[in-house]
Amino acid sequence: MPSDDKTKHKKTRKSELDSALDQVGDESVAAATKEFQDLLAQAKGDTTELIRQNAEELEQRLLLLKEHKIDKEDFDYFVENQKRDLRVFIDSQPAQAQERAEKLTLQLLGMAATKIAPLLLAMI
Amino acid sequence: MNLNTAKNLIVRNALLGAAAIILTSCGTATFTKTGSDATIESLRSFHLAFIDEFAVPRKRFNGAAFDARVNEGDTKFQQAIANEKFTARRPVLIDLKAQFDADAAHLRSKASHGKVTSALASEMKKDINKIYDHALGR
Repeated sequence: MPSDDKTKHKKTRKSELDSALDQVGDESVAAATKEFQDLLAQAKGDTTELIRQNAEELEQRLLLLKEHKIDKEDFDYFVENQKRDLRVFIDSQPAQAQERAEKLTLQLLGMAATKIAPLLLAMI
Repeated sequence: MNLNTAKNLIVRNALLGAAAIILTSCGTATFTKTGSDATIESLRSFHLAFIDEFAVPRKRFNGAAFDARVNEGDTKFQQAIANEKFTARRPVLIDLKAQFDADAAHLRSKASHGKVTSALASEMKKDINKIYDHALGR
């Protein structure tokens, strides 16, 4: 449950990715970065395992990209894999839950690929 | 035998017959599903072994060996799709084949340019295990 001590500790501690993104000085991209960080934190704290797992995988892959352990081509490939896998899950959700699930998964992945990944690569 | 006893016997026999049919069909469905699960596990092993063989950093790319293994995979997936008796599983097998095709295309592009990293191999295997687990309803 999101209310336990472990999760609280996790939420207050800054992740490695957050620390990297906090260094973004350019105001034109700072808003998009903040929006992404908020959405990622929301997804990581979600009660649905698949949403949480997707967010954690995405974060880990952004770190691998930042550390040059994978390139942008690989990153985009993994994003497409994740999207393909998630579409089945989203379609299986009740209509009223679909919009939220889509925001915390597909939208998050889209932002990561188009805004955050290029930003991380430009910072290196 | 009076009329009531005869009626009861007919009803009892009909119910027993129906129960036998249901039990037999359930047994067949379970057997079919178990066989189908085994096929998916066998495809998973092949898929992971393919990554282990070709997603190796600094390994010289052998196009002929790569193509041979991809063709072997195509045959395995096509056979699995054609032989699948549990019809609800066919689209799942088609999705797994699509993943194999996509992985093969990505890996060919990376390996032939010497751009394979250990992180790439490990993340690919993570995605493969995930998609097969989902296919098995885990």
